Amino acid sequence: MKPQEPIPHNYRMSTLNKVFALSSLALLALVGAMVMYDYARGWKRFQLEFLRVQRDRITQQLEVARRATGEEQLRALDQRMREGEADIARKRAELREAEDTVREWEGRHYRADQDFRFAKAVLDSLRYEAEVLALRKARGWEGKQQEFREQETRVERLKLVLEDVSASRDAALARRDGILSRIAEIEREKKDLLADVELLEKQLATVDFKRPEFLLLNMPLLDFVSPTLKVEQVVLNDMFVDMNYMVVPRVDRCMTCHKGIDRPGFESREEAQRLIAELEGKLDGFQIAPDRIADTMARIEQLRPIAEARRNLRNPYRTHPRLDMFVGSASPHPLLEYGCTSCHRGLDRATDFARAGHTPSSEEQQKRWEEHYGWKRQPFLESPMHPRQYFEASCIKCHSGEVRVDEADRISEGTQMIELYGCAGCHKIDNWRFQDLRKPGPDLRGIAEKTSPEWTVRWLTNPKDFRATTRMPSFFYLRNMVGPHIGPAERESNEKKQNAEIQAIVAYLFANSTRRGWPEGPSGDPARGAALVDTVGCYGCHVAQETVTDSAGAVRTANRDDFPLERNYGFNLVGTGTKTRSDWLFHWLKNPRNYYQQAPMPDLRLTDQEAADITAWLMSLRKPDFMNMPVAPADRAALSELSRSYMITSMTERETDARLASMTSQQQLVFLGQRTIEKYGCFGCHDIKGFEDAKPIGTELTIEGSKNIHLFDFGFVHDFETESGEHEHVLHTVPSWIYAKVRSPRVFDDQRERGYHDKLKMPNFFFTRNEAEAVTGVVLGLTKDRVAPERIAARTSEARVAQEGRKLVSQNNCRACHVVDGHGGAIAQTVEDPGMLPPDLGPEGSRVQSDWLFAFLKDPTVMALRPWLGARMPTFHFSDGEADKITRYFAADANVPTFETDDGISPHPQSAAVGGIVFDMLRCAQCHPTQAVAATAEADLASLAPNLQLSRERLRHDWVPDWILRPNEIVPGTRMPTNFPRNAETGEYESPLTLAIGSPQFASYRQALLQHFRSEEEMLQALADAPRISHHLRDYIWTIGIRSMPPARDPVEEPPPYTPETPPPAPAPGVQSTSLRVPGGETPGR
Amino acid sequence: MTMKRFLTILLAAAITTMIACGGGGETAAYEEDEELEEIVSAGGSATAASGGGAAAAVANAGTITGAVTLAGNPAPQSTIQMGADPACQAAHSSPVHAQNVVVNPAGQLANVFVYVKDFRGAAPKPTEPAILDQRGCQYFPHVGGVQVGQTLRIRNSDPTLHNVHAMPKVNREFNIGQPVQGMTTDKVFDKPEVMVPFKCDVHNWMSSYLAVLPHPYFGTSNEQGSFQIANLPPGTYTLEAWHEKFGTQTQQVTVAPNEQKQVSFSFNAS
Repeated sequence: MKPQEPIPHNYRMSTLNKVFALSSLALLALVGAMVMYDYARGWKRFQLEFLRVQRDRITQQLEVARRATGEEQLRALDQRMREGEADIARKRAELREAEDTVREWEGRHYRADQDFRFAKAVLDSLRYEAEVLALRKARGWEGKQQEFREQETRVERLKLVLEDVSASRDAALARRDGILSRIAEIEREKKDLLADVELLEKQLATVDFKRPEFLLLNMPLLDFVSPTLKVEQVVLNDMFVDMNYMVVPRVDRCMTCHKGIDRPGFESREEAQRLIAELEGKLDGFQIAPDRIADTMARIEQLRPIAEARRNLRNPYRTHPRLDMFVGSASPHPLLEYGCTSCHRGLDRATDFARAGHTPSSEEQQKRWEEHYGWKRQPFLESPMHPRQYFEASCIKCHSGEVRVDEADRISEGTQMIELYGCAGCHKIDNWRFQDLRKPGPDLRGIAEKTSPEWTVRWLTNPKDFRATTRMPSFFYLRNMVGPHIGPAERESNEKKQNAEIQAIVAYLFANSTRRGWPEGPSGDPARGAALVDTVGCYGCHVAQETVTDSAGAVRTANRDDFPLERNYGFNLVGTGTKTRSDWLFHWLKNPRNYYQQAPMPDLRLTDQEAADITAWLMSLRKPDFMNMPVAPADRAALSELSRSYMITSMTERETDARLASMTSQQQLVFLGQRTIEKYGCFGCHDIKGFEDAKPIGTELTIEGSKNIHLFDFGFVHDFETESGEHEHVLHTVPSWIYAKVRSPRVFDDQRERGYHDKLKMPNFFFTRNEAEAVTGVVLGLTKDRVAPERIAARTSEARVAQEGRKLVSQNNCRACHVVDGHGGAIAQTVEDPGMLPPDLGPEGSRVQSDWLFAFLKDPTVMALRPWLGARMPTFHFSDGEADKITRYFAADANVPTFETDDGISPHPQSAAVGGIVFDMLRCAQCHPTQAVAATAEADLASLAPNLQLSRERLRHDWVPDWILRPNEIVPGTRMPTNFPRNAETGEYESPLTLAIGSPQFASYRQALLQHFRSEEEMLQALADAPRISHHLRDYIWTIGIRSMPPARDPVEEPPPYTPETPPPAPAPGVQSTSLRVPGGETPGR
Repeated sequence: MTMKRFLTILLAAAITTMIACGGGGETAAYEEDEELEEIVSAGGSATAASGGGAAAAVANAGTITGAVTLAGNPAPQSTIQMGADPACQAAHSSPVHAQNVVVNPAGQLANVFVYVKDFRGAAPKPTEPAILDQRGCQYFPHVGGVQVGQTLRIRNSDPTLHNVHAMPKVNREFNIGQPVQGMTTDKVFDKPEVMVPFKCDVHNWMSSYLAVLPHPYFGTSNEQGSFQIANLPPGTYTLEAWHEKFGTQTQQVTVAPNEQKQVSFSFNAS
């Protein structure tokens, strides 16, 4: 064979081998690298670190448990065990014998048992045979029956034998166990003692990440089988993510890194301290059920080392704060149903720090995250998380049907602010909470009856100059008109235009105002007026000061948030004398609805003299300097230019010129005024003639929190100074933008070139940081996120009615005087003696009868409960529907039926008699009058308590004994003393009467009481039983009750006493100050 | 074979690296907490400065005695009208004056509470209960102090109803009725607080102020305006004097071993 000719190659095999070898090696390395890249997920490190934290915690607990177990105790047990064993060794023979006996008797028992059973079986078969034979009347049936009877006797006998043998066997067993029991007992004790330690040791083994199985299970490529480091998730079927083309359930994977989130024991130091204080408080206040006390104490012990630890655990390892509210399985928002992102937002399925949508709350946090966790901005993320200060925003998602969200005070405050500042007047918010709200500003359809154009021009120029705490925002001379970014030429032109706009608005308002004449009231005494304002309750809603003294003792200008929101509800009273006409003021005070049907101020039922005195005092509050502020008349050129700018949109140049030429200055002003009111949307907060059907001008906010970041115009703003000179930094996040907008609404015009009408128009409310954050939180919470309908709070029809009532409580500012749901009572700031405060309405629903409450709301004069109180419940002129909603709200809040009357109940005379004696012994009448009180009585009125004669008409039957037993638990801080203190150990009520009855001071009562009991023993027993005593007291109070309440009726309102309208004075071209002292071209005062 | 071993080593190394990195800066589980450490060490050194614990300190303890005066002319003391409760009226034969500003013609001011504000060492535990007595419809003492954990025994010595309404901000509020003469109620405060106001809602002229302190180093000025703080371990302290109407004053004081230190406070009535 011809040797095969080598095929000619233009490559060399040896080289190729090397190339293949190298490339396969490279490929292998690449595969390895791919595997490693896939394997080394960021979250694994957090899980490993959490194991380390767990190990530390368990080790600590183990030490404590071991210490608690006590070496000595263990040694003693061992000693006893050894003794027991020695004892047994000594009694070995005895034990052996006992065991033999047991064995023997076991054998006998077996045999006896066997015999008995067999005999019984035979008996049964004999019975059958005998019966069959007897039935057939067959031969020998009698013999069979005889046999059956004999067998029956045998069975009886065997049964007795078995019983005897059993008894002997049990005795033998007992003897043997007795010898062995000592050891068994010691072993059990030892096991109990070591149970904690063993459990912890087992736990420790599970978190040991150095043991071989751990390494094996989590090895790359092998970890598909059953890894211990793995992604964790919950699927939330009721919470949805909107993927634009479909809506899918949320799948939260946050707990992959936040491993400790639902496990108690990984709290931060602060949370541990807070929890300890809370739990101890609850223990002291007997708020923990007896069977939970041991668990609570164990929890406190668990928390104590965390609270005192030198190192504070960090996120993501911490337990969620407030497990009783969130995440915890027994909380209203358990992890398995609500997950994390339904509140926090962010990308539910992400397991990477940056992709999850963590949003920094500050510049510092952003820097730290970038450095430590590789945080990057995620511009395409639809719903980034809420930053730390806005966590509460998401409550709105499910709770928007509630007026206040319990425990979410920031959101509740923000919501109340939006209502109070009238945000919804300009910004449509399609949300029950912000619908049907009263306009926050006064009615301007009668402005000419109340003030002057001169004042109004100055007011509009800058409301804060007149009242530092006013809620009216500034529209004019703001940063985008006259700020430092504006060039001098443009600034001058803008100033003229702004003044022309102000003058135009005033001209329009006064040209369209009613001019009814109000007769002057009687002359009043300002000093008496001041005293009345102080006592009648005006300071619940109003403040009358512009300065406050801070904690360091320095006096500074007041901010609105120096006072509770409720006290900003009414206007600051300073300067009223400069602003308002006295004739109008008198009639306003008499009944605000004379002027304006929707007036937010209630009717205080002032007499003519009282109203005149208060008028006199208010008129003495003057700010004369304010009226000296120079004001220029409207600049003609600016006026024409502005008027023209509006006309030109619907007319040709020539028509516009002709139209302008045909108008007087006054006509131009009124025309421009109308357009300017339209431009700034003044009608959002004020009623203005001609704008009854105008649509709000602002951006709709219904889903503002869901808007993507690219829809927000950040302009050129990174850092800015607010009008009050504070520095703010704008992060490129939606929350930061909204905050900046609320803080300084025109800031995004900085350094921009925009036409006069194109500039931002939102007025400046001069919100402080605190206020701006509260408002921002609410706006962020207005999203299009969806949840299943069953997750929406307050959905039932009953709950809806209650919420409507709650809304009325908020709209009528009831919290100015009363504490409702634990919030409010703002008037307390100005009332020195707590005895003179209006009542806390926390338990109102369970306290009063609905009929009474309804009647009282309609007309508070139906019952004078504490006639000596200066502060009087005003008449709100509620409709039946409104009074009903409020009544039902209180009943629903207390979880008691609305329609229940305790009218028909009449107490047993004997019980009432005992109650009467106890009533005297406890000296209830020292504070509670039991007959009508004259306001001039010598008694110290501030020490008096409600008149008990009125209780039967007013109070609920079950409420009275409950209140007598634990007043301080129902209304903390109440003046009603606790007469039956609880025993610190058992929580049982103790009665002071047991002690009292023995004292000579009470000898006469003893005799009286004895008549009502069969024996002295029975009497003592009754006196020691505090709940029983409280029922006797109630029965007595019921017997002294009188019927004094007239039927509810709305007090008839007198027709307003004004004279018919007078024609408006001759129009003047704009307002010119009579005290103008500066040359014409000068800047108007700001 | 070699390849397998190589892979095993590689993987083992990978896991080890991962575990080792776990403790790195990125995932560190605890906050660096320098502030707290400072507090801990400062507390330690203060104990050392005061002589290393109370037991040793008592041996060379000092005493602060002082005088409190009032400059200027205070408004004359108001007379209490006790007509509302005959039992109160009956307890007094002469007019009773309010206890808020008690000053004698020499300008010596009573009812000023003086205490060591910054004592950090271990303090001796109280054994005796403190007494708050209601006698003749007035509180005795009107101004005083108790220690944290010390029993406060509240007694009604009058044949009428009193209620004791404590209105602390930090501790738990309570309001108990005492209708029986001779009745006592024990209460304990568990957190320091200066001052806890007490009042009786039945007799609104009755008021008292008690300080709750973690140590026994306090005193109240008597009618001669003098007070004493005894058994004080040597050291430098801030003393604060408190008066219900004239506010507070502080001063630094250094007490040497066994020293009888004299201090004085002067309030201004204006």
